[in-house]
Amino acid sequence: MRSYLIRRIILIVPVLLGVTFLIFAITQLFDPYMRASLYIRDPRQAKNIESIIRKYGLDQPFYIQYFRWLDQVLRGNLGWSQSAHMPVLKALITYFPATAELALYAIPLTLIAGIFLGKIAAVKKDTAVDHATRVMAIIGWSLPSFWLGIVLLAVFYGGLGIFAPGRLSVWAENLVLSGKFRIYTGLYTIDAILNLNWPVFLDALSHLVLPVATLVIINVAILMRVMRSSMLEQLNKTYVIAARARGLDEKTVIDKHATKNALIPVITLSGLLTAGMLSGMVITETVFEFKGVGYFAAHAATQLDIPAVLGFALFAGILFVIANLIVDILYAYIDPRIRLG
Amino acid sequence: MGSPALPDGEQLRVKDLVVRFYTYEGIVKAVERANLRLRRGETLGIVGETGSGKSVTAFTIMALTPPPGRVEGGDVYFRRADGGIVNVVKLDETELLRIRGKEISMIFQEPNAALDPLYKVGDQIAEAILAHRLPEMLDKASKLLEDEVKRGAGGLGARLELWAYRKMRKDPRSAALRLLKRIPILRGLIDRRLRRVVREEIVELLRLMEIPDPERVVDAYPHELSGGMQQRIVIAIALACSPVLLLADEPTTSLDVTVQAQIIDLIMRLKKRFGTSVIYITHDMGVIAEISDRVAVMYAGNVVEVAPVKELFKNPMHPYTKALLEAIPRPGSSFKSIPGTVPNLVNPPSGCRFHPRCSYAKDVCKRVVPRLVKVSEDHYVACLLYGGGGDGEHTGNR
Amino acid sequence: MLKPKAKVEESPRIKELKFILRRIRENPLSIAGLTIVIFFTIIAIMAPVLAPPRPGRDPYMIPRYGYTPEPQPPSPEHPFGTTQGQYDLYYGVIWGTRTAYRIGLLVVSVSALIGILIGGIAGYYKGVVDEILMRLTDIILAFPGLILAMALVVAFGPGLDSITLALILVGWPTYARLIRGEFLRLTAEDFVEAAKAIGCSDVRIIFRHVLPNAIYPLLVVASLDIGSIVLTAAALSFLGLGAPEGYADWGQLISFSRNWIIGTAQNPFAYWHVYTIPGLFLFLFVMGWNLLGDALRDILDPMIRRR
Repeated sequence: MRSYLIRRIILIVPVLLGVTFLIFAITQLFDPYMRASLYIRDPRQAKNIESIIRKYGLDQPFYIQYFRWLDQVLRGNLGWSQSAHMPVLKALITYFPATAELALYAIPLTLIAGIFLGKIAAVKKDTAVDHATRVMAIIGWSLPSFWLGIVLLAVFYGGLGIFAPGRLSVWAENLVLSGKFRIYTGLYTIDAILNLNWPVFLDALSHLVLPVATLVIINVAILMRVMRSSMLEQLNKTYVIAARARGLDEKTVIDKHATKNALIPVITLSGLLTAGMLSGMVITETVFEFKGVGYFAAHAATQLDIPAVLGFALFAGILFVIANLIVDILYAYIDPRIRLG
Repeated sequence: MGSPALPDGEQLRVKDLVVRFYTYEGIVKAVERANLRLRRGETLGIVGETGSGKSVTAFTIMALTPPPGRVEGGDVYFRRADGGIVNVVKLDETELLRIRGKEISMIFQEPNAALDPLYKVGDQIAEAILAHRLPEMLDKASKLLEDEVKRGAGGLGARLELWAYRKMRKDPRSAALRLLKRIPILRGLIDRRLRRVVREEIVELLRLMEIPDPERVVDAYPHELSGGMQQRIVIAIALACSPVLLLADEPTTSLDVTVQAQIIDLIMRLKKRFGTSVIYITHDMGVIAEISDRVAVMYAGNVVEVAPVKELFKNPMHPYTKALLEAIPRPGSSFKSIPGTVPNLVNPPSGCRFHPRCSYAKDVCKRVVPRLVKVSEDHYVACLLYGGGGDGEHTGNR
Repeated sequence: MLKPKAKVEESPRIKELKFILRRIRENPLSIAGLTIVIFFTIIAIMAPVLAPPRPGRDPYMIPRYGYTPEPQPPSPEHPFGTTQGQYDLYYGVIWGTRTAYRIGLLVVSVSALIGILIGGIAGYYKGVVDEILMRLTDIILAFPGLILAMALVVAFGPGLDSITLALILVGWPTYARLIRGEFLRLTAEDFVEAAKAIGCSDVRIIFRHVLPNAIYPLLVVASLDIGSIVLTAAALSFLGLGAPEGYADWGQLISFSRNWIIGTAQNPFAYWHVYTIPGLFLFLFVMGWNLLGDALRDILDPMIRRR
C-alpha cells in the first residue's frame, strides 16, 4: 500500500506540470501585450508594459517563458483580473467559500441518493422501480443544467416567491457584512451556526435549496446508472450465491456483500463526478447569481478577462487532479487486494 | 420412517425436475425431467459435459436456481437432520434459510470467486457459524463469562455482556440489542467473548481442513491465499454446521492436479468423519471413478444413466456413456471424440436429445423421450434401446 | 414431400445488423429515442420550408418584428410568440435545430476522426509513441470539459466557430483512448499476427481488420456524445460566449429568457414561452440522442463481449 501511495503521489507531478503547460500553451495564443496582464498584480503596473515584457521575457522563446511563468504561478501570481478588480488569486480565494458551500451539500446528497437509487434499481431489476429510475436517470442526464435552474427559479421564485437567487436576502447580507457577525469559514450556513444565528442560517439554507437541487438532480442521474450496473455485475458473481448458500438472508447478502463490492468502481467514478460538479458550478452559480468561483469565471469570460479565466481553468484542473488522487487513495484503502499488495 | 416420497435410507430424491431459463435469446430448457436418488451416506457422482444441466440441478437442490432460471416442475424431496421430509422447491424463504448452510451446503468451482474479496476468510466462516449455531456459541460464551464472574474478575462490562447474550438467546431480534449494536464503542464490548469463542471454533475447523498455521489464516484475505487454501476455506464454510448433504460443483476443476488430489482426499475423509452424503459434480471421468459410490450421467438436461461406479465403467449401457468412456484418452489408441456438438437448449432436438449424435439412433428416437428404466440391479438407463418409451409420450419441443 | 431448401448462409454482418434492428424494435425506450431523433432530423432538413428565411439575409439570423423589449405571447403570426427584442421564437427554435446539428455532427465527426488517427497510431505502434500520446490525452482529460472549453473559447474569441473548435480540441481524447484500447485488444488477437505473417501491410491490416471491429463501441460513444456536445455548446452560448444576439441558437435563446422568469405582477408565468420552448427543444433533442445511444449500448455491449 505504501509503495502504491508513493507511486500514485509521484505520478501526479507530471500531470500537474502538464496541466500548467496546457494553460501556458493557451496563453501563447495571445500577443505579448495581452499576456503581460498575466504577470501584474496591480493595474497601475500596466503603464510599464514594456518593462514587464522584458522582465518576464515575453518576447523570448516559449520554453524560457514557461519557466518564468511557472515561477510566478508558484509564487501565487496569477495576474490581475479586470472584471473583479483584484488579483486573480485573491479573487479565487474570495469566491471559493460560496462554491465550497454548494459542494458541501450537493456532493453528499448526490452520493447518498445516487447509490441508494442505483442499488434499488439493480436489486429490483426489470420491475416498475427499475424502469422508473431508468427514466429518471435519462431525464436527469439530458436536462440542460441552466434550463433546469431557470425553470426552477421561474416556478419557485417567480411563481411562489420563495427561494430567491443569490446567497442571502438583503437583510441577512447587511447583517453578515456588518461587524455584528463573525465570519469564520465564509460558508454562511456554518458561520450562522457558529454565530448561533438561526434566522441567517435559515436564510442561507433557503438560498441553497434550488442551486443544490439543480446540481443534485443532474449528477444523481449519472451516478445512479453506474451504481446500478455495478450492482448488477456483483449480483451475478459466485460469492453472492455462495453467501446465500451459507444461509444468509437476502438483506445481509445484498447490503454486506454485494453493495460493498459494487461501491468500489463507483468510488472511481466519484472522481469524475467532481469534474461534473465543477462544470456544473459555473453554470449553476451563474443562473442563481450565487457568487462563487464559477460565477466569477463565467463573468470573467464574458468580459474576456483572460487572466481570470485561465487562472480559474488552472485552479479547476489542479482541483480535479487532486480529487482523483484522493479517490485513488480511498480506493486503495478500501480494497484489501490493493491495500495489502 | 419411510414415506412414499422418500423411502428409508434415502437422503434426497429429485423427481421429474424441470428448470427453464428465460433469456433474450429464448427459453433455455436446461433441465428436462431429471430424476436422481441419493442414499444416505453415499457419494453420488454426476458427470456430464457443459450444458448438461448438472450445475443447475445442484443449485436447484438448494433452491438457488440462478435467475433468469425458474423451476417449472418436479420435486426435490430432502430428509432433514431431524428426520422430517420436505420438498425443497415448495418451501418458503424462512424455511430455506434454515436449510441452506446448515443441512445442505455447497462448494464451488472457483474458490477465489466464491469468497468475498473484501472480508477476511475467518469472518466469512464466522458468518456461517453465527447464522446457524448462534445459540450454541452464546452458551459457550455465557459459560466463560459466568466462570469469570464467579471468580470475581470482570465488572460492569462483563455483566452487560452476559445480559446481552441472554437477551440474544431469547430474543435475537430485540430492538434494544439492535440499538446497542449501533453505538461503536459499546458494540465492541458486548460480544468480546462471543467473538473469542467463535474464533476458537473457526481455528479448530481450519485445523480439520489441514490448513497449516490456522491462527494466521483466520485473519487473511482471500487473495492472500493459494487456490488450494481457498478451496479448503470454502469447504470449511460448507462443513461448519455439519450438513447432512454436501453439493460439490466441480470443486477441483480449476486447481492444479496435485492440489486436486489433496482436496479430493480431504473431502472423502471429512465425509466419513461427518457422515455427510455427497453429490459430486464433475466432467472428469477419472475423478468420478475415484470417489463415487454411484454415478449419474447427464446429457442436455436429462439423466440418461445411473449405476454403481464399477458397474457403469464395466457395463455402460447408454450410447452417450459409452462414447464418454471411449473418449478418455488412452496411450496407444487414437483420440475418439463424440461427433456433433452439444445441442442448443432453446431448440433442443425432439424426442431423445442425444439422437443427432447417436450411432444407434432409430426413427422412433426422434419422436419419443426415453424415461429411466431398470436394466439390472441398481442400474438404470434412459434409452429406447432398452425400452422406456414409457408413458407413450410423443414429444416435439415443448 | 421433402422440398430441398437452398439455404443461403447470411454473412455474419448482415445477421448482426438484423439482430440489432430487431432489438431496437423490441425496446420501447429506444423506439422513443429513434422517433425523437428522426423528428429533429426532419425539422433540421426542412427548416427552410418550415420557417422560410428572408431573401438576401443570413438564414440563421432570426427576423425581428419590432424593437420593444417585452416578449409577446404566442399568436397566429408568431406560433411560439416572440422573445426579448421581438425575435420570432418559432423561427429561432426551428433554425436552432440546424445549428445544434451543425455543431453536434461537426464536433463529433472531427473529434472522432482525430481520435481514431491518434488512438490508432498509439495503439498500433505502442512503445514511446503510445506513451507520449497518452500523456497528452491525460492532460487534456485532466480538466473538466466545460471549463477547458470555456478557456479556449475566450482565447479564440467568442462565437460559434470558436465553440466548435474548442469542443473538438476537448473532445478528441475520449475517442483516442477508446480506439487505442480497441487497437491494443485487437492487435493482441491471433488474426492480426496471421495477417502480418502473410505479409499484409500495416495499413491494410488497420483498415480491413482492426477498424471494422472497433466500430461498435465507437458508435455507442458517438451517439451518446452528440447530446453532451450540444448541451455544452448551448451552455457556452448561454454564458454569452457563443452566438451573438439574434442568432438562431437554443442556448442563446435561453440566455435571453433569464430576464423574464419573474413574469408580471398579475401573471408570474406571463413569459413562460420564452424559457420553456427553447429549453424544451434542447432537452428533447439531447434526450432523444441519449435514449438512442443508451439503447445502442445495451444492445451492442453483449455483442462486444461475445466477440
